[in-house]
Amino acid sequence: MPVKKRKKDFTLSEKLYIPEIMKGLGLTLKHMFKPKVTMEYPEVKFNPPAAFRGRPVLVQEENGVERCVACGLCARVCPALAIEVQASETNLDKERFPERFEINMIRCIFCGFCEEVCPEEAIVMSKDYELVFRNRNDAIFGKDKLLVPIAKLHDRLEFLRNFK
Amino acid sequence: MALKTEEMVLNMGPQHPSTHGVLRLEVELDGELIINVKPHIGYLHRCFEKHCEAMTYPQVIPYTDRLDYLSSMYNNFGYVVTMERFLGIQVPERVEYIRVIMGELQRIASHLIALGTYGLDIGAYTPFLYCFRDRETILSLFEMTCGARLLYNYMWVGGLSHDLHPDFVPKCREFLKVFKPNITELNNLLSYNKIFVERTANIGILPAETAINYGITGPMLRGSGVKWDLRKNDPYSIYDRFDFEIPVGTGAQGTLGDCWDRYFVRVREMEESVKIVEQALDQLPEGDINAAIPKRIKPPVGSIYGRVENPKGELGYFIMSDGSTNPFRVKLRGPSFVNMTVFGELCKGHLIADVIAILGSVDIVLGEVDR
Repeated sequence: MPVKKRKKDFTLSEKLYIPEIMKGLGLTLKHMFKPKVTMEYPEVKFNPPAAFRGRPVLVQEENGVERCVACGLCARVCPALAIEVQASETNLDKERFPERFEINMIRCIFCGFCEEVCPEEAIVMSKDYELVFRNRNDAIFGKDKLLVPIAKLHDRLEFLRNFK
Repeated sequence: MALKTEEMVLNMGPQHPSTHGVLRLEVELDGELIINVKPHIGYLHRCFEKHCEAMTYPQVIPYTDRLDYLSSMYNNFGYVVTMERFLGIQVPERVEYIRVIMGELQRIASHLIALGTYGLDIGAYTPFLYCFRDRETILSLFEMTCGARLLYNYMWVGGLSHDLHPDFVPKCREFLKVFKPNITELNNLLSYNKIFVERTANIGILPAETAINYGITGPMLRGSGVKWDLRKNDPYSIYDRFDFEIPVGTGAQGTLGDCWDRYFVRVREMEESVKIVEQALDQLPEGDINAAIPKRIKPPVGSIYGRVENPKGELGYFIMSDGSTNPFRVKLRGPSFVNMTVFGELCKGHLIADVIAILGSVDIVLGEVDR
């Protein structure tokens, strides 16, 4: 096997890397006086733009009823099979409503297909990005956690109207 | 009398910080010299290809994001371009331009990671942070447009998920203006740094012939002096409209095809990408982005192979259809995976510390090597 010999004996001037190191340190020093680019995250919260695809939520109208008509399109389009909908009938105008609506947040890949496919704009991606669970059961979000009042989702609904 | 020496096998990884993911290298050593390196891959295997068979065609797109997660946009790009050729869809001009802009920004972002972590691997911590600073701006641009920072799911067959935000174009121009001097800063800090050059020049020399024989593509092949770029050689989308060059390795600091050449090709590619984005922003037409999205994607029976120039090399999708809504077979030709094959060859005869330098210059992403 051919073994390559490497040049290892540098002269003294070659061994002195100090100018190179000083150059790096100089740049760092210069940047100390420039504005910071970092964010001190847990103390300062990051405010995402309207386009942000965070946790999917169900839109709750002002009268407290969800928009969802339990058509099940979101469950069908979901690539990760994270959504489960069980439909039931209601006396309201929309006739059908989801008796049970569950999103398994461990499975969800935040692709936004559910929002895209929804004919009623009933499921949208919110700005929530802090998703921590203590166990797997907590990660299955039912209607109690998914329903969000429409007042909090105006940003996103407007974004969808403009850019989709 | 010579002392009797024994060869040693050393396992590097899977949790080694410089292997860029879960990769195990079985290194055969003679003292400090390397006799052979055997990469063991598959720790991150997620059955992408098999999984696609259970998905409908659009549902595959979010999973292409997860292959090479540092260049998700380009993985989307490759898939949709292939699918559009398969279905015979002509997408609107605006969509093509936005795709090119996004793809080239992604190339810059991916190369920034490659360069930054390369420095980090061999002991230069500072450039890594500056690279991340610039990448952050690109990610914010992506986030403003499609809502995700890493796994975009932005390009759809026949169109895009969202139109550009009105702020996008000015912000992108602003970024390019800030970014150009930053490349010079990076060059002064790392590329021409003597310590860095000593560490990378004449290391891991890949002759052009070997590179071609192994099917190496991307900056690695160009680092060996071969002028091969699919954007020029087999233009897809609208790349034939832009004026840019293909940077190749010159052996400026050592031998042609060494680690430094591969590194520097990436730096120069970022400059070229900046040029492309600038031109695309100037020419960006108005229009509807959703005009060509088909209601139902059902390609004819048959198969197709489409390839694009991913930041890491040739990304090819082989898609076979049986006429249903799900692909019958999807095969991915990943650049990282193929570039990885030559790794053992490159390491032979070098010192053990050079393994890290060579691995960094190959620029692999384990998400795609293992799929």
